Amino acid sequence: MMPSRANRVQVVVVLLVMVVLQFYIRPRLWGPRVSPDFLFLGLMLFALRSSPGVAALAGFVIGLASDALTPAHFGAGMMAHTVVGYVSSWSRAVFFADNILVNAAFVGVGLWVRDLLMLLLSGAGDRPLFTELTIYSPLEALATAAFALLVLLAFRQWFSIRLDA
Amino acid sequence: MASASDRSYTRRDTVMFLSCLALSVVALVAPPRTGLSVADSLRATAFAPLVWLQVRAEEGRTSRVRFREITGQRDSSAYLAQGLPSLLAENERLRQLLSLSRRLSSSYVAAEVLHQSQATDGRTLLLSAGSSQGVSPFDPVIAPEGLIGVVLSTAERTSIAMTWAHPEFRVSAFTVTGNAAGVVAPSLTAMTGEGALEFRGVPYRDSVPSGTLVLSSGLGGVYPKGIPVGTVTGLIREQAGWERVYRLLPAANPGSVGHVLILVAPPSSDVAAAFPSDSVLKAQRLDSLLKARRADSLAQASRDAASARRDSAAARPRRTRAKADSAATPAAPATRAPEPVQRDSAR
Repeated sequence: MMPSRANRVQVVVVLLVMVVLQFYIRPRLWGPRVSPDFLFLGLMLFALRSSPGVAALAGFVIGLASDALTPAHFGAGMMAHTVVGYVSSWSRAVFFADNILVNAAFVGVGLWVRDLLMLLLSGAGDRPLFTELTIYSPLEALATAAFALLVLLAFRQWFSIRLDA
Repeated sequence: MASASDRSYTRRDTVMFLSCLALSVVALVAPPRTGLSVADSLRATAFAPLVWLQVRAEEGRTSRVRFREITGQRDSSAYLAQGLPSLLAENERLRQLLSLSRRLSSSYVAAEVLHQSQATDGRTLLLSAGSSQGVSPFDPVIAPEGLIGVVLSTAERTSIAMTWAHPEFRVSAFTVTGNAAGVVAPSLTAMTGEGALEFRGVPYRDSVPSGTLVLSSGLGGVYPKGIPVGTVTGLIREQAGWERVYRLLPAANPGSVGHVLILVAPPSSDVAAAFPSDSVLKAQRLDSLLKARRADSLAQASRDAASARRDSAAARPRRTRAKADSAATPAAPATRAPEPVQRDSAR
């Protein structure tokens, strides 16, 4: 089904809002390590409604931004986001239907997997890996999933489309 | 079975995914310097708006924190400034009390006034000293400015004082010039809140000019002689041609007094010397200030001398160490030449 031009604009508006939230609001929130990752949420919202290839490309661009702004190991963010974007879009088409709670939970799981991949690819030590994956990453995933739930509830109509074309 | 369009769709996705993955792998295996330079150029061009946004956010956050800090500092300063005048006033009163106690030759007990939030506070005062400190009924209560009243009753650790504002208060008094004597009592209008005293029973032939200081006379066996009671501010009335009644401005205010002295010595002693005139007090204060300044300058001089001694003591080992260093390091022959001479002379 071809999405209308209005639907595309609506999704782009939401994604732009996510970018602003990520770079303008997130630094002002409480702990930056456990605040919602708005950029990743934007990627997931986009990936769940687009084809796997486009989602992988979107993940690559967001990973590029992540690597350019926090260059811990250049390329790790690109690969992690590419994989997560592709797998999210593919698994959404294969495994589950449109359900707000499932979508929100998927965002949380996706964020944890993204962190796992990034940490492994950037060569983090055992101790930081364990701490990140057991404390900070689950908290950030929970916060992001909760915010995803709010966004999906608020923009339910806007996100009830697929951008497959 | 998938249609041809679905297959191309899947193939296109796979190609895109593999391309992105390949680029990521290239970025991963590229030398770190290359990755950093790519990141730098991206930050300067494509992602510059994102960096700009983050910088603005950080500025906003820090300015908010700074605003909170400044507000907190302003509040604490305002709070401190609020208490400062009262602290200064209390400090001044305590200084005055201290100097009064130094001037008093008779024995006394210092007490705090425990003010009560009642309308009658000021007529009687609760004092923080009692019979265990040697206070007994009819002991005079004084402040640095003058007479406050007399102890009415005592408990072990507290006592009640009747001030000059009490309707039953009386004290035998005379003018500082000695030409008129009488009895000081609270004014009738004082009970309606004016807070003045009357100097009653002054013989008609004696006139007292305004501004004359009135002291306790020591008659009656309660108050010692010489405690300031008040200052004449004017004539109230003349009775039948034989008595004049003057209005007195009280020397001390029981309503605002915080600390008092209770004279526990027999009232026969003269305490007039403990209440010098304003000019004498001023001179004494200046004198004490000069003494304090002199003591400060002496202390400063001794501190300077001590620090100079410390410096010279610290410099001495440095000098010897420097000599040893210069001896140990190979130097130009011109500087090394005197060494054998020194050693020889030492021998």
